[in-house]
Amino acid sequence: MFKINGLDHNNRMSTQELLQAIYQALAEGETEFYVNAAGQHDIGGPLWHPEGKKIKFVVTNPGQRVGSMCLDGTEIVVEGSASADVGWLNAGGRIVVRGDGGDTAGHCAASGKIYIGGRAGTRTGSLMKDDPLYSTPELWVLKNCGSFSFEFMSGGVAVICGYDSDMFESVLGDRACIGMVGGKLYFRGKASGISPKDVKVLPLDQADITYLESNMDDFLTSIKRPELKSTLTCWDEWKKVLPLPYDERPKKANIAIEAFRTKEWVQDGVFGDVCVDDYGVVGLVATGKYRQRVPLWEDARYNAPCQYNCPASIPTQLRYNLLREGKIDEAYKLVLDYSPFPGSICGSVCPNLCMDDCTRNLVDDSAQIGQLGTYSVDVAVQKTAKKTDKKVAVVGGGPAGLSAAWQLSRMGHAVTVLEASPRMGGKMEQVIPRSRLSEVTLEKELRRIEAMGVEFKTGVEVDSTKFTALRQAYDAVVVATGAHIPKVIPWPGHERIVKGLDFLKAINRGEKPAIGKRVIVIGCGNSGMDAALGAYQVGAQEVTCIDVQAPAAFAKEIAHVEELGGVLLWPVQTKEIIAEGIITQDGKLIKGDTVIITIGESPDLSFLPEDIVRERGYLKPKSNFSIGDNLFTAGDTIAPGRLVDAVGNGRQAALAVDAYLAGTTYQPEKKQKIAADKISTAYFSKCHRCEVPAANEDHVRCISCGTCRDCHMCEKSCPEKAISRELLNDSGYQYVSDSDKCIGCGICAGICPCGVWTMYKNAEPINIIKK
Amino acid sequence: METVKTLDITANDLNWKIQYTPEHCTMCGSCVAACTFRAIEVAVERRATTISTARQPEPIPQHKAVPVIKRVKGLANACVGCGMCEKVCPNQAIKPVRNEDSRANILARSGGTPAKRGGRNNLIKENTLDKITVGRISQMTDPALDAERHTFDILAPFGRVLMPNELPFSNNGGELKMNASTPPVNWIYPIIFSDMSIGALSTRAWEAICMATAYLNEKHNMPVRMSSGEGGMPIQLMKSEYLKYSIIQIASGHFGWSRIVKALPQMKVDPAGILIKIGQGAKPGDGGLLPAAKVAEHIQAIRGVPKADLLSPPNHQGLYSIEESVQKMHMSLNAAFKFRVPVAIKCSASATSVSVYNNLLRDPYKICGGFFLDGIQGGTGAANEVSLDHTGHPIVSKVRDCYLAAVKQGRQGQIPLWAGGGIGMTGNAAADAFKMICLGANGVFISKLLIQLCGCVGNEHSRCNACNTGLCPTGICTQDSRLVRRLDIDKAAQNIVEYMLAFDTELRKLMAPIGNSSLPVGRSDALVTTDKAMADKLSIQYAC
Repeated sequence: MFKINGLDHNNRMSTQELLQAIYQALAEGETEFYVNAAGQHDIGGPLWHPEGKKIKFVVTNPGQRVGSMCLDGTEIVVEGSASADVGWLNAGGRIVVRGDGGDTAGHCAASGKIYIGGRAGTRTGSLMKDDPLYSTPELWVLKNCGSFSFEFMSGGVAVICGYDSDMFESVLGDRACIGMVGGKLYFRGKASGISPKDVKVLPLDQADITYLESNMDDFLTSIKRPELKSTLTCWDEWKKVLPLPYDERPKKANIAIEAFRTKEWVQDGVFGDVCVDDYGVVGLVATGKYRQRVPLWEDARYNAPCQYNCPASIPTQLRYNLLREGKIDEAYKLVLDYSPFPGSICGSVCPNLCMDDCTRNLVDDSAQIGQLGTYSVDVAVQKTAKKTDKKVAVVGGGPAGLSAAWQLSRMGHAVTVLEASPRMGGKMEQVIPRSRLSEVTLEKELRRIEAMGVEFKTGVEVDSTKFTALRQAYDAVVVATGAHIPKVIPWPGHERIVKGLDFLKAINRGEKPAIGKRVIVIGCGNSGMDAALGAYQVGAQEVTCIDVQAPAAFAKEIAHVEELGGVLLWPVQTKEIIAEGIITQDGKLIKGDTVIITIGESPDLSFLPEDIVRERGYLKPKSNFSIGDNLFTAGDTIAPGRLVDAVGNGRQAALAVDAYLAGTTYQPEKKQKIAADKISTAYFSKCHRCEVPAANEDHVRCISCGTCRDCHMCEKSCPEKAISRELLNDSGYQYVSDSDKCIGCGICAGICPCGVWTMYKNAEPINIIKK
Repeated sequence: METVKTLDITANDLNWKIQYTPEHCTMCGSCVAACTFRAIEVAVERRATTISTARQPEPIPQHKAVPVIKRVKGLANACVGCGMCEKVCPNQAIKPVRNEDSRANILARSGGTPAKRGGRNNLIKENTLDKITVGRISQMTDPALDAERHTFDILAPFGRVLMPNELPFSNNGGELKMNASTPPVNWIYPIIFSDMSIGALSTRAWEAICMATAYLNEKHNMPVRMSSGEGGMPIQLMKSEYLKYSIIQIASGHFGWSRIVKALPQMKVDPAGILIKIGQGAKPGDGGLLPAAKVAEHIQAIRGVPKADLLSPPNHQGLYSIEESVQKMHMSLNAAFKFRVPVAIKCSASATSVSVYNNLLRDPYKICGGFFLDGIQGGTGAANEVSLDHTGHPIVSKVRDCYLAAVKQGRQGQIPLWAGGGIGMTGNAAADAFKMICLGANGVFISKLLIQLCGCVGNEHSRCNACNTGLCPTGICTQDSRLVRRLDIDKAAQNIVEYMLAFDTELRKLMAPIGNSSLPVGRSDALVTTDKAMADKLSIQYAC
């Protein structure tokens, strides 16, 4: 037995001195040590006997870390209490403290046994581990321990017996087992503040009881309290703490917002008084009510550019669609709903505004719309069966009057056209050179009008007396007398001027008006070109056409004149007309034997009553073409225009007259041109010039702007298969999109070649407002 | 050929282009259906080529028309880069990409009107606070705390704090006796969910934040407060117990205050505070703006206004001086709640902030319960871009200046300093908050981060920023019921709650190493920066 006193009178040995004395004794073979310490640290470990014998320590009054790093084969008994860190990093020793242990008892113990016969301090058992190569560490405490006990414990067994601890709220102190991941903790009595996120507290099972029962005697005997056995072995007073297995540990905070909202939150939401919300959620792509946009199939909602530009609003896209479907007769007839002169005007003299903006121009060249008219010259139309008892007189047999008469007659009214000259046709017959407008074609189209039942009365001059009578005899009178008074500017010498209109009329009558070899034409519009052509026709050798501004005539007409040798000059301001020609404002002489003027004509309205409103020599009708009671007008009496303007005007006037006769209100035609970017021209392959088909086969190139061409592209392209083609009762069809399937992507609108589909903001209301 | 003229505005003139891979695209329509801006559309492209497959040139003309996704031309439908197309595309066939040669900023003034948008300053993309680190770690000198286990007192005052000698206590036979009332002070979490109005936010987004606030209080014991913003308060909320988590804001437009006043007799609890908004960091000197597109029927009801662009003037109409603002606004709002509820004031950070703060500190009535400073990086639902990008003052040095001015007089902490404007802009709100607190703030206020948690995809790099259009793709900044329905209120609230729980832990992780278990207000010794100029300006340690 090696005995040592840590305190010799007033001299306290240092820890180093005391431990080195122990080492020396051990080296000399000592196995039993009695250490009467005075707070020296680290007594009892790590030590081993040179011959492997067991070592035993009895210690009183130790300092911190008694039994630290204690190896197996070492037994330490502390009589009385110990300071902090009893059995720190215990690696196999048996350490018995008969009194209280200090803070952090058993800290990081990984093997061996630590028995404490009193209380243990804060952080008891923290970071205990279990090395699988050695025995499981055990830490037994008779009474209780302080807060933060068993922090980060990851192995071993700890037993807190809770004896004499009723005065404490918790035998484990507060916040026990934080970060505990392994091992087992048994405790008896009350405990609280055990980290719920790390461990669970369970009742004992039989294995637990077996363990405790079999070790209890050794513990109590070691700390010399065997009498407590019966007190401590009422197993229903015990519980065990097990760390949550890794998989059971919550990796995330447990948050239950929906339950909170439905059970605890303000009922119906904080905005519940103002709006209703079921809190349903839709995805970024939604159908039905929650789509952002909805497609609409709007067949013919917008005009094709041809139809829009045509003053007579001829829907050529419909003609070509019919041709494409093989309905040739229908296609040729359709134009007659808009104009009685598809051959004379569309196919002959019309500048064909329809072709200017033809979308096909973006691909190659316009569809041959004007030419298509010629296919309708010989088409016969059934007389209208419908008969109203209304009589309408049309004064003037030109394009405006005949257009109105044609339409009115097809509406079932009895129409009489009164024409002053011997033949019908107005300027088409009287003024347009025969080379531009075939007499045969015109005659056919005039006969078609007559065949419809329109009564032609030629050679009837209408004066004011006759007009008054007409107005009384007929339910409505349409004044379409055109403009036949040539305009002349009173320059000095103006009396020398030949009026172009008279000149052209004479030629068309078959006369040969006398002119000089050199002819000057004032005015480079189409009539100027007509006059120049006429001049060459009757013997002129040099024709000079002058204008104050750039020529307004169509390029084709100008080219024709230039081909014949004609010269166009502008800007030229006329000062005087003399026998040798024209003196210009800047004093030059343009030589000419004859001067013809073609700067327009004004209407002769002398036969009309005084009270009819005129402005600058023209009539000024209301928006329904009315110029007085039962009195209407159309054409050049309103403003100078092209033949096709007169036709369009005549048709509109006819609709207005019909409305008047029926007692309804005429709605002026509203035209809306399709936006160019709605059309997909990419479908159409560029056509080589030599591959361009005949005009009546040009449906292969017509895009059908704004009108469905029934190509099924939308139906086949819809990603949701929401679009279907439905047959209508009247043999027509429509494409519809099923709102339950449609996601509002706009593929239909994007790929429609004709621009028939349009995407609109979904206007279906979502009623969230509480009224 | 279709004619394109130089002045036509085409996709390459605008901020975002579309990177589209037709060979991956199946024309499912999802991207076009999802895009709220109608920035993309379907079109048909011509693929016409002439090939030859024989051994000698033998032309075979081929023509194909293929459907594709295309950018819509023009400014009105400009892509904002929100990326919803990319999000919904099943094949990664489409995504917006930045156009570095954009001319949008020049074109955006078309119509003679200033460019407008929402979001934050797009010129300052860096976070000043990221140049500061917590460089003083308690090690051998003093014990660091353990963020996981120690008890932390993470509370900040909202209300006027008196100096010890100003407290109306007397010794009454060994017991303290209070002889007069003291100004109300609420100790709350050092983050306020701030100032996004009903109107600027959708009902769901506003409610999600409101609900997250309540949840954090009720379930996680985090006393976070939410400021209403200037668009009024929901009546149902004012009648409920949850009102206690609300700070009610009043701005120059006084929107919704008739309903707030009417609700006073029905309030079961007091609100947490009142915040007088004088200015906003995002657009100082410019007033509030709620574009007509967002003034839906329910907003008209709550605010008491017709459908129109709603402007709150840059100034409170009845205030002409600091003194008057203290006398009138603070007094009226203190009186409205019978002096039980603290009243604070929010200004844009400015070169004049220190003067204002000094003036408030000297106020003999001790009636100002907080000085909220909003820096240039604050967000907004709608502003003139010129204000958003070119007016304002960074928050960091300004808060420091105010704090040090108070320290000089021994008056720090009396009028709590709250800092906002870019807090959390890089996602690290705890670090930002901690640093601001060390520099002298008592707490911080955040807003944009909250809507980002609700799904907002906007950023300081010009992404989205379309809060002013009413077309918010995430249903947050819009009143279009169809778009609002995209927002999952529960998930949005959950994201906020989760972020805040993490924030709380992160804040502890910063408090622990410097050894503070309460908020380290003014502990600038904890901070270091490698930027010398910043070190000098902020009086913190320079390190390299």
